[in-house]
Amino acid sequence: YPLFQRGGPQLRIFRPNFFMLAVRPGVPQPEDTVQFRVSMEMTKLDIRNYLERIYNVPVAAVRTRIQYGANNKRNHRNQRVKKPDYKVAYVQLGQGQTFQFPNLFPEKEQDSETRSFDDFRDKYMEKEKQKEEGDPRRGGVPDWFGL
Amino acid sequence: MAALGARRLLRTGRRWFSETVPGAPSPPASPLYPPVVASATAKSKAAKSQRLQRFNQRVHAAATVEEKLRLYGKLQRPKYTVYPQTFALNADRWYRSFTKTVLVPGMPPRAAAAKPPVAVAGTTPEAGRAPEPGAEAPRAPQAPGAAEAAKTSEPAAGAAPYLDMGELRSLACDALLQESFYQNKKRPFLYRDQDHTPGPFLTQLVSTLAAFLSGRNPLLAASSLDLNPEVNYYWHHGEEVVVHGHRKGRVDPVRFQINDNPHLQIRVPKQLPEVVPLESDLGDVPVIDHKPSKLPLFKKQYENKVFIGSKVADPCCYGHTQFHLLPDKLKRERFIRQRLEDQIEVVYRSNGIASLFAWTAAQAMYQGFWSEADVTRPFVSQAVVTDGKYFAFFCYQLNTLALTTETIKNNPRKNICWGTDSKPLYDVVEDGNVKGFNDEVLLQLVRFLLNRPKEL
Repeated sequence: YPLFQRGGPQLRIFRPNFFMLAVRPGVPQPEDTVQFRVSMEMTKLDIRNYLERIYNVPVAAVRTRIQYGANNKRNHRNQRVKKPDYKVAYVQLGQGQTFQFPNLFPEKEQDSETRSFDDFRDKYMEKEKQKEEGDPRRGGVPDWFGL
Repeated sequence: MAALGARRLLRTGRRWFSETVPGAPSPPASPLYPPVVASATAKSKAAKSQRLQRFNQRVHAAATVEEKLRLYGKLQRPKYTVYPQTFALNADRWYRSFTKTVLVPGMPPRAAAAKPPVAVAGTTPEAGRAPEPGAEAPRAPQAPGAAEAAKTSEPAAGAAPYLDMGELRSLACDALLQESFYQNKKRPFLYRDQDHTPGPFLTQLVSTLAAFLSGRNPLLAASSLDLNPEVNYYWHHGEEVVVHGHRKGRVDPVRFQINDNPHLQIRVPKQLPEVVPLESDLGDVPVIDHKPSKLPLFKKQYENKVFIGSKVADPCCYGHTQFHLLPDKLKRERFIRQRLEDQIEVVYRSNGIASLFAWTAAQAMYQGFWSEADVTRPFVSQAVVTDGKYFAFFCYQLNTLALTTETIKNNPRKNICWGTDSKPLYDVVEDGNVKGFNDEVLLQLVRFLLNRPKEL
């Protein structure tokens, strides 16, 4: 950002090129805290203004940290492959609002057709496996073993 | 031959052993072998509990309080530093869960009942300087060196039964005007507003009021007024699993430390009376399942200190009143600009709860109580949190020190904190006049200072 000096104009950014990604927290967070992955150049003020002006979300507090991406993996040429760094923002919502990250992959209710098809498929796989096993009276000993 | 002799000896020996002499004393009652207890060095849960029990016995058996405190805070590990004056949102809820405190709005009924009679025109009392512990008798005529008040000294005509509100109001107004109007101060440095005017005003107000009221409250006459003292307390509460490091995977108690610097503090030799009985239940303690680091609260490892403002040998070992000044970072205007109006009161409450818990718990440790040896009588202290204009009053009763995981299981006691909202003492200071002076706030302050045990 251009340096601010006393008497200079206020820096205003219209239509910013930043993107904020709301993520599911890895560790349980308090109810009013939302976790975002933001661009490395965004500051706490940027995040606050972004959410308040564009999305009308009341923001009480913002805390940020930079997550270092590890550099331990090696590719087929034995060169180190770096995972990219990213900035994580913890935003506490104002006016007593709460946020719970939604479950994006809920279990769908199966109707009777799919359930019966699944049962049929499981039974068929069981029969195939039994055919492969061989005579149960031999106790797991293979067929080629014998006199 | 020898065999025959041996058999005879054997037979006689056997008979001697199997003989039962009637009337002989039974074998001695003390056991022949030491008691079978778990090993102290094995890598097992029984060994861990054995080590903890041995540590508890060592602390119980310590001869002096200093030795107990030294053993209690000997092991240093990373701990959460709890700041009473914090910008964290909803900090007072978290602090209540850490200290097992119930917050009751308003002042306890005892304080309202013991209201001293107030008269508008009463006898002229003496006005003295900072109270010395019993150095100057309040009834003796004295010439005060009050530079700002420029009052003429008059011999006291005995302890007046009525409190002169006009006199008290003029004392407060004089202190305020001297600091903000009469004294020619330059502009305050950046972010040093609170040290410029409200700090000296608070010191002046408290010292003059305490000296004024020491006539009718002999406890104040024997008290000790500390300027910018240090109050520290270290405690365990709850359990967590260690995440990183060579101790990963072990279950550790969650350690907290408060390092507080109140602006002023009054310590007295006798304890304030209890407000409600020890086992009373006045509300619920909030339970927060998240780790304290989500508040946000940060861990650091340093000395585990327990301190009330003076060392153990000091005769004034009980607390009376603390006065806290909020820093510039937590001013009302800043919160209003950030549109966090509801957090203004949270700041006062968190400051009151944390500081008073640390002070009362440290006082209890100075008397030899700790988490394994819970308090047998409640410890009561008061605090006034202010930012120069707005005053909030808090009264804390410590009923239990047992906050560790084992001791909290069967402990129904809770600590109680009574607190008011912040009220302004005056509206504005203009041209040598204080506009909109609020007498109730001053009266509450006076009631706080006049609080004393029933025997006195």
